[in-house]
Amino acid sequence: MSGASDGAEGSAEKAAPANWILQHPTYQQMQQLQVEDSEQIYTAFLVYMDLTEVRRWKEVSCVRSPELQVVLLEAREKDGAPAHTVLPLPVHRRLSHRSVRHVLDRGLPMLLCAVASDSTLVYQRMTDGLVTPDPPVGPFEDLGRRQHRKRRQQR
Amino acid sequence: MEAPPCRQLGELQPEQERSSSPVVGLSLCDSAPLLWRIQDLKAVRSSGLVGALLGALPRTPRQNIRLGRPLLLLPEEERLLRERHSAAALPARNQDAVGTELQQRYEEEEQRSYEEQSILALEDRRSALLRAMTSSSGSESGVGSDEALQGRLLALGQSFTFPRSALAVQLSTARAGLSHCQEARAFLQVDWPIREQDSPRREARYQVFRDLRGRGFFLTSAGKFGGDFLVYPGDPLRFHAHFIAVCLTLDESICMLDVLCVARLGSNVKKTVLLCSPAPDGPVHYTSLQWSGMV
Repeated sequence: MSGASDGAEGSAEKAAPANWILQHPTYQQMQQLQVEDSEQIYTAFLVYMDLTEVRRWKEVSCVRSPELQVVLLEAREKDGAPAHTVLPLPVHRRLSHRSVRHVLDRGLPMLLCAVASDSTLVYQRMTDGLVTPDPPVGPFEDLGRRQHRKRRQQR
Repeated sequence: MEAPPCRQLGELQPEQERSSSPVVGLSLCDSAPLLWRIQDLKAVRSSGLVGALLGALPRTPRQNIRLGRPLLLLPEEERLLRERHSAAALPARNQDAVGTELQQRYEEEEQRSYEEQSILALEDRRSALLRAMTSSSGSESGVGSDEALQGRLLALGQSFTFPRSALAVQLSTARAGLSHCQEARAFLQVDWPIREQDSPRREARYQVFRDLRGRGFFLTSAGKFGGDFLVYPGDPLRFHAHFIAVCLTLDESICMLDVLCVARLGSNVKKTVLLCSPAPDGPVHYTSLQWSGMV
């Protein structure tokens, strides 16, 4: 999982982890967004580190969501790719469909990122409407009856 | 000039409604809506409702792949039919009278069958006798042998009795309803699954069901997939489901772990998970949940 590098760095020195994060300019920028939820700010910061350092996404910025009172991230996968909204949330939190709709209303493709206490991250894509799943990949073989297959193998 | 067209329109509409959706008869077993009659099952399927077959087929028991009547309707399906005035509960039969009524009917039918079979058996014996007599005395012809033949046939007619033990009895394997089988009915009454206590959730489920059905999708229950409905682009016999619909109200909060759980399951079975919530002003909001592909 992508959180492993962060975890290894953190466990090496007990005093350092909190300090370096608190001094990070982006973390301080997030704090200034006037979101009261410090746990969510920390979560957003972990996602920020994952997107910038591990996945090397471009133009990663943070913004406050007035309806949800959380920090959202906006980023592009590559230069010229469409911008995504990322909603970082701790995994034990609860979420309502209305909040999801608020984030979708921003008009950008949305990624929900669930962050566990060990910094494991998982991203889920959320889209408005009914998105047909990808069809199964061919080539397709007509297996017929199992008995026929066994007989063929025996010959 | 204006009155006749209005009247014609008024006359047309009920006719159109009647021809487009025949009324099906629901047999209510406690609160379970069941359909027993073949024409009802066909009507319901042709209007896009799938239901679930519950009954064992008499010739292929002890398996769950192919089941027979009755068809159990989802609560949403029943409600949709009732709202369209396409379903009505069949009158409940008086439990006490039914047993004796059936027995009487059976005995009358058996008596009728016995009389029919007696006549046929007598015919058989007569023709056998005729054959035996004409073949044995084939070359001989004349009034004497004819008289003897007539005499013997008459005697046969008078003395012949068809023994009751030789009666062929037809056992009907097609029965409509459980009215004769009191124990089975009681079982269904007791084990009917508990209805959801949550009525906002139930209302949300119904609104989503009606909206998706209106868009032409076929829906069945999704117990195996941890959702509310499985959404098929056409008849389930022809297609795999595309979506697992999870119905919630806009404001109820769900745990992130549950979202991840259902999303992961959906991606494992190649279906998109749909979070569905009806808005208070009418339209239903759908959010598709997919695996991001970001490992």
